[in-house]
Amino acid sequence: MTFSPDQDHVAAGNGGGVATLDPDELPAPAARSVPWLRIVVIAALIVVAIGLAYLRAGSGVVVTQAVVTGILIGGVYGLVAMGLTLIFGVLDIVNFAHGSFLALALFLTFGLTQAGLHVYLALAISVPAMFLLGVLVQRGILAGAMGKPLENQLLITLGISLIIENALLLFFGGNPRSVALSGDRGVPILGAVANLSRILAFLGALLLAGLLYLLLQRTRLGTAIRAVAANDTGAQLVGIDTRVIYAVTFAIGTACAGAAGTLVAPLVTIEPTTGSLFNIVAFVVVVLGGMGNVVGALVGGLIIGLAEQLGGIYLPGQSPLLSVFIVFVLVLFLRPQGLFRRSA
Amino acid sequence: MRKTWTATLALALPLALAACGGSAPAGTSNGGGGQSGGTIKIGSLHPLSGSSAADGQQMDNGAKLAVEAINNAGGIKSQGGKKLELVSADTQGKPEVGQSEAQRLIQEGAVGLLGTYQSAVSANVSTVAERNKVPFVIDVSSADSILAQGYKYTFRVQPSSTVLGTSGAQFLDQVAKAAGKPVKQVAVLHEQGPFGTAVRDAFKAEAAKAGIKVEPAIAYDAASVSDLTTQVTQVKASGADVLMVAGYYRDGVLAAKAVDTIKPTLNAVYGVANGAFDLPQFPKEVGAPAEGYFDANYHADMTKPDMQALAKLYTERYNDQIRTGAVLAYDSVQVIAAALEKAGSADATKVRDAIASGEVPTLIAGPGTIKFGPTGENVNATPILMQVQGGAPKQVFPADKAEAQPVYPAFKSQ
Repeated sequence: MTFSPDQDHVAAGNGGGVATLDPDELPAPAARSVPWLRIVVIAALIVVAIGLAYLRAGSGVVVTQAVVTGILIGGVYGLVAMGLTLIFGVLDIVNFAHGSFLALALFLTFGLTQAGLHVYLALAISVPAMFLLGVLVQRGILAGAMGKPLENQLLITLGISLIIENALLLFFGGNPRSVALSGDRGVPILGAVANLSRILAFLGALLLAGLLYLLLQRTRLGTAIRAVAANDTGAQLVGIDTRVIYAVTFAIGTACAGAAGTLVAPLVTIEPTTGSLFNIVAFVVVVLGGMGNVVGALVGGLIIGLAEQLGGIYLPGQSPLLSVFIVFVLVLFLRPQGLFRRSA
Repeated sequence: MRKTWTATLALALPLALAACGGSAPAGTSNGGGGQSGGTIKIGSLHPLSGSSAADGQQMDNGAKLAVEAINNAGGIKSQGGKKLELVSADTQGKPEVGQSEAQRLIQEGAVGLLGTYQSAVSANVSTVAERNKVPFVIDVSSADSILAQGYKYTFRVQPSSTVLGTSGAQFLDQVAKAAGKPVKQVAVLHEQGPFGTAVRDAFKAEAAKAGIKVEPAIAYDAASVSDLTTQVTQVKASGADVLMVAGYYRDGVLAAKAVDTIKPTLNAVYGVANGAFDLPQFPKEVGAPAEGYFDANYHADMTKPDMQALAKLYTERYNDQIRTGAVLAYDSVQVIAAALEKAGSADATKVRDAIASGEVPTLIAGPGTIKFGPTGENVNATPILMQVQGGAPKQVFPADKAEAQPVYPAFKSQ
């Protein structure tokens, strides 16, 4: 494939200093700076929320534990959502199959660890395997629906998710499975305790998020992906093979789900429906962070992880999704375009 | 591009068909059987797909084995040796699907229904059964409210939430007192639905009678919870000496993992009708920290030779360990079959009367046979106490059902 020599022009379409893939973004030179004000406001709100939780709980350890747990699980939510947001930003596809891809990766990881492979070494197989599956699914099933109305692609991805979930049920049965991490133990953090496997999953998620950011910002492939996201006709005119970019982007998104699946394998009970638990949260995170915004997805993941855990203190006995959706509705009300996306 | 598309479709299609076949075997297998006059149909309604598929399939298998056993023994003798036919339907764990599937099975001629695992689904199916005057035997679903409607056609084999919570508190008090370390304070972690709340209330009321303080009671949403460490930290901060957990499998495992991480000072983790702590795969998934976990739950009586034979047959046939849910489904089919035998007719109303007045032996651990009271509750339904010992759940209390002695305090080092 050939890329536009005029990369600076494309880069100018990238707003906010974050890897946004917003197709509706207008070029605005002044917006290249990081939105510090917004970040400060969000951070201040989080600090206030934690402070109120201290007053509500009356026990420092409980709140510290909630914050630590929330941040750790939030990183994983962020990783799942990054794949989803990438696919949305570039292909304009609302991918309902994302959770199922994660479930598939969970079962793949389970199989690999049963065969004697260490769970984190399984990343070396699960990520490429899910990348390949992503290429196949995009080229084979979704390519024909590109440019068609949104509901066509939406129904196709919904169908794929049903097929994967039921195929897993058929071949593996509904019995819960698990992946054990040898040497997993509690690690004390500021009086709270977190399992080593959770910390490793969080660090893995951050590392992959960093790699994805560098890929999008610093490589020719990333520039091409952003160009297609900004204007696919324009990208075609300057010689970018959009079909390849579509396939690669979808595959990167699927690989994110694959990586997340392997990283969370020691934390969750592995069932064919495990993926759908992450799916709902991932959609919330994507909209919260700004559709198509990769860094927004990571920040959104952390916010949702915290909201889930602190909500358990504010509103004991309610579904963690309740506090998640309270935050979600508030954000939609105040910033309908998401936290890190400028209004069109 | 078109070529790849076709090739992928060709690959995907058999997979899709296979998936459909897996999730709805019932619909395909009984399509042509509507007219078979030689058999008596019993409808089995369980979640064969969705998040409870493992339990639903177990229970459906249990019902199949019961029908097979009855047919091998000569069918319904009072009706000229007529054979039973089990028609299975998938509720997907959804109340509205369970309701429409129950209606379908009745229209196809089922004279009795059994099911359904989820209380919400059972509540809807019991309404359909009442309207159509077809008896419905609940194998698993513990919500008290189902039988509080005054329905005449619904019966329950397993203990209700109230019985589970009350007996659970009594067992805990007795075991702790026998060990010379009476319980002072119990923290409760329960799922927020009708099941968890009813168990909590009954447990709390009975514990209060024994002078045990129940605080705090923390609820969580079993469907979407991803971590329970914050909740277990609250338990640790409260200084309770026993943690009671009422919930399902996945959340039970999360609770155990959180207890292992936070390490609160507890004498015991004590499940009441917990969907995880008395299953053989629980110690496998959680590992060594699962040792010593209690569960007061309805349970198959492994001291009975018939039960051992059924467990062996189940493993041979389905390559899996039998769960109590499957045994309850097995018993429920026996209840309907005994009523068919007694009624001498396949008329649903006569079958209902025969169930109400009948008495059927059971494979579940309890004080006697299955016998229904005026509201349709099994009067002899009771839980027993199980404990994970040596990597497997063992029956430990009451003494006449015990395979091993209860170990209390359950944790040595803490």
